Amino acid sequence: MAQNFEFSLGERRALAPTGVIRLKMADAQELVNLTIDGVPLSVPKGTLLVEAAKQIKQEIPVYCYHTKLGPAGLCRVCLVEVEGMPKLQIGCNTPVAEGMVVHTQNAKVNAGRGMVLELLLVNHPLDCPICDKGGECDLQDYAMAYGRGSSDVADPKQSKPKGVDLGPTIVLDEERCVVCQRCVRYDDIIAAESQLVVKDRGHNDIIATATGDPYAHNFTGNVTELCPVGALTSKTYRFKSRPWDLVRTQTSCTQCAVGCQQFVDQRSGSLLRAQMVESDDRVSDGWLCDRGRYNIGFYTADDRITQPLYNDNGTFVQVGWDDALSMWAKAIREAQTAGKAIGAIGGGRLLNEEAYLLQHVFRAIGTQNLDWRAGRQAVATPARTGTYQDLEKAAAILMIGETPEERAPVMWLRVIKAVTRNGAKLIRVATADKAPNIAHVDAKSVEEALSLLPAQGQVVVVWDGIDTSVGAKIRDAMASRNGMGLIASEQPNARGAEAMGMLPASGGMDTGAMFDAAGRGELGALSLFGVNPVRNFSNPERARAALEATPFVVVSELFMTETARLATLVLPARGAYEKSGTVVNIAGDLLPVNASVQGPVGTLSDLEMLVGLAQQFGLPLPTVEELERTVIEKAATAGPVALRELHGEAAHDTIARPARTIWDGGGTAAHDPRITRMLADKMIPTELVEA
Amino acid sequence: MPVTKVLTEGIGEANLRDIDVYRQRGGYVQWERAVRELTPAQVMEAADKSGLRGRGGAGFPTGRKWGFLPNNGKPRYLVCNCDEAEPGTFKDHMLLEQTPHLVLEGILLGAYGIGCTHAYIYIRGEFKEGYEIFTKALADARAAGMFGKKLFGTDYSLEVTAHRGAGAYICGEETGLLNSLEGKRGEPRLKPPFPAIAGLYGMPTVVNNVETLAYLVPVLKNGAEWFSSVGTERSKGYKIVSVSGHVQKPGNYEMPLGTTVREIIEIAGGLLPGRKFAAVQPGGQSSACIFEEHLDYPYDYESMAKAGSMLGSGAFTVFDDSTDFVKAAFNSVRFYAHESCGQCTPCREGGHWLERVLHRFVEGRGLASDLEMIERVGTTITGLNLCALGDSIEPFLISVFRRFKPQFEARIQREEAVGV
Repeated sequence: MAQNFEFSLGERRALAPTGVIRLKMADAQELVNLTIDGVPLSVPKGTLLVEAAKQIKQEIPVYCYHTKLGPAGLCRVCLVEVEGMPKLQIGCNTPVAEGMVVHTQNAKVNAGRGMVLELLLVNHPLDCPICDKGGECDLQDYAMAYGRGSSDVADPKQSKPKGVDLGPTIVLDEERCVVCQRCVRYDDIIAAESQLVVKDRGHNDIIATATGDPYAHNFTGNVTELCPVGALTSKTYRFKSRPWDLVRTQTSCTQCAVGCQQFVDQRSGSLLRAQMVESDDRVSDGWLCDRGRYNIGFYTADDRITQPLYNDNGTFVQVGWDDALSMWAKAIREAQTAGKAIGAIGGGRLLNEEAYLLQHVFRAIGTQNLDWRAGRQAVATPARTGTYQDLEKAAAILMIGETPEERAPVMWLRVIKAVTRNGAKLIRVATADKAPNIAHVDAKSVEEALSLLPAQGQVVVVWDGIDTSVGAKIRDAMASRNGMGLIASEQPNARGAEAMGMLPASGGMDTGAMFDAAGRGELGALSLFGVNPVRNFSNPERARAALEATPFVVVSELFMTETARLATLVLPARGAYEKSGTVVNIAGDLLPVNASVQGPVGTLSDLEMLVGLAQQFGLPLPTVEELERTVIEKAATAGPVALRELHGEAAHDTIARPARTIWDGGGTAAHDPRITRMLADKMIPTELVEA
Repeated sequence: MPVTKVLTEGIGEANLRDIDVYRQRGGYVQWERAVRELTPAQVMEAADKSGLRGRGGAGFPTGRKWGFLPNNGKPRYLVCNCDEAEPGTFKDHMLLEQTPHLVLEGILLGAYGIGCTHAYIYIRGEFKEGYEIFTKALADARAAGMFGKKLFGTDYSLEVTAHRGAGAYICGEETGLLNSLEGKRGEPRLKPPFPAIAGLYGMPTVVNNVETLAYLVPVLKNGAEWFSSVGTERSKGYKIVSVSGHVQKPGNYEMPLGTTVREIIEIAGGLLPGRKFAAVQPGGQSSACIFEEHLDYPYDYESMAKAGSMLGSGAFTVFDDSTDFVKAAFNSVRFYAHESCGQCTPCREGGHWLERVLHRFVEGRGLASDLEMIERVGTTITGLNLCALGDSIEPFLISVFRRFKPQFEARIQREEAVGV
């Protein structure tokens, strides 16, 4: 039985997150010798004590300091003793000096830290038993380490608003806030939004938006993790669990093609929260967007498909997996016998292993009519790939096409970093109405944009991969100056699907050609995997007509999408948090996907479905080891593909669409009541609302 | 009597707000001479040799402060700190309103000395009248060609902008002032970097007090030696002392540094009839009290430090034996708790905690355990703060708490009656 197929690629070499110590003002390689807690060490000049101490595995406690936000000098808990200095110094803003002797743990230091903690607790409500942060709270931890254990406070604590609705995603408890201003600085430095401020003064300080409007943008959730205490909490996770009851998995987010590393926490099979992986310098730079963080509820949605469904003259009836697989194989055989074409579309939402097996099985069955493209995008692999580090260090960034800031949100944070901190010139050929909050130049055409490029320096082009004529112009212009490209794909694993060979070959039909053939009655059976062309194809009506004209349509899906409703057979699939394998992101990194939960009973991964189909045809299958090796090889060696338009389709200008937001994607967010509540509040602008 | 009128000369006698009057009395002569005849280095040298130290509170040598500016080709800024908000200090207020052109001439000389082409003056929000007077002085001086483009036929151009604050004590702290001047929340900046390296708009900046800059005018007129020959070994020249409290004639008195504490009380008319001396707070609200044993100390930077206090901004507040030091301590701590920007923990939480405890003492509801807490918390928070505001809570509080402890002990109630 198909359900018995176990396929777990488990731990993967792909991307090993590395903890890189960031050094403020660090000069190239000039080393300084010092002693911390009796241990001699050499660190680059300019290193701050708080970072230097990490090298000898000594933790200096911090609230306001954060590696990615730099020192602020506000909380005063990072006190250390530097010999020769009469006062305790703050470790977060004291750079190393030659011959410096530092003590991070002694009576004087601990007394200073103890005083700071005693003061932080004067007005802190100590409602740890009902606080989301309880168990992973820096205030609890440092109070245990340095606190007095008793209090001289004889007066009532200051009362402040609790449960403040800060915006669609976040609830703020003002009493728990230690005013470290990490959230304020993050919003300014990293997100370039500057919505959050400290209001009022002194002990009446509160965190609020400057305008009084809801705190809303694409990256709000990160502040809940930057918050060292339980002041900023996520609406989706509030009062849901204690951290020690959660089971944690590290995986790659597959909600868009950026590939951010994330921790996914589940309890009793429910995904409760996703958190950022701070050490993920290569991909996410340690951040998540709000969709990657919050859109995890749909996995347990009530309207999830959990049984194969056969369309019996307009009525979907449940069938068993055995019947479903044999019906599928029979339909393909009958089409082939009748001299009709067959085809398969998908891969951009599958794992690499699945995308590889998809083309492998269908080629073995005898068709080259294979394509991952089911939307507007024509190509996913640029002529010369840039990395996110290249983007960060670019002299100029060219942004062309459909809102890459919404399609690949966390990549946009790199653009902000490149522009605001490294002085990159940002040139946009903009389709979005919303202008970014950072310095940029808007060009009316690709030609104008290219003419605005600086004569020297690395150029990185961020493009949507839709209009191949634009792609050709970019390719030609970049070839002469060694420019790099990043294609912000519509589908999370579009590049992986391309690398795995989910493209027509040897005269095979692409998606557009298959739809045309269907219209002429020449397509006998079509299998769709995780794609929704009736919603996303450049001309949705053409996709609808094609599916209606095809005698047997198989759709592997999580929900009854517009496309699934036109299927002959609907196969209940598993989502990316329910299976293991790999994906390839925008930058060409091979990234691990690790299952956090088991899918609902009755669902199968696309890999298991394809194995089942292969068995129906008696086809030989690669072993797990062979599959794993092939995927790594293909991912590593895949080069750019030709700029091919979808057949017969001027893909880029057929249908005018409203600007995308990060919540669009596959439409999964609509199945999570928590997200739809946010939409109902009209706090997140989107056209997502669908039947 | 040691009272000597230098900056205060003519105040109360002539309408120094009138630019013609100011010029008839020799005003702007030094400024024109500096631009025409002196190099900026010569002005800086005069400031350095005079021994002039910052009159805003820290007492840092002015010439040395200017010398910290890096020669990196970046624009430099001079900012005149006229946010005088230290309780008990009222000298800059007087200079601004009574002799605005002297203040301006000092700014111009300072700007020229550091090689700056745009100077700013940050005027305390509450000084509405002073702001208006100074704005008029600026307009008159501009019309008279005292600043603007290509001054006195040279290539040197200088712009001056007056900015009115919005009423926060913390904006008198030099980096809080710079933030406020840039339109940001008035919070002190983390140092390093210091303003000399990255100040206003991130550029090398000198922040000088009104009185400090004003003394540049007589220093240039009479020479550095004239200034440095007055005062004590390391505290040179003159100082305007704002005397307040329990004296018969409170007011601003200008005198050589080194005048004794006892003499200053006498200059201000002595104690009120029938009262006995209790304490003097010699350097503004941020300074510790000194007592009877210090009456013959010279009033200079070193001696005040030796007495356990500081000269500060020259705010000299006298307390006689009628003073309720519990109320005075509460009032002082309440001020700092109210003015804390809230950025850093010790100041934000410590000030507010002490305020609430002292408030109970004022109401006669102190606890015996509070005495230990006041001593422990009051002294421990000093030195832990981001800026000097938090470190200013302790000095007055602890100095009077220790000296007049019986007054505090008398406000302790039996615990069960406190009701906290």
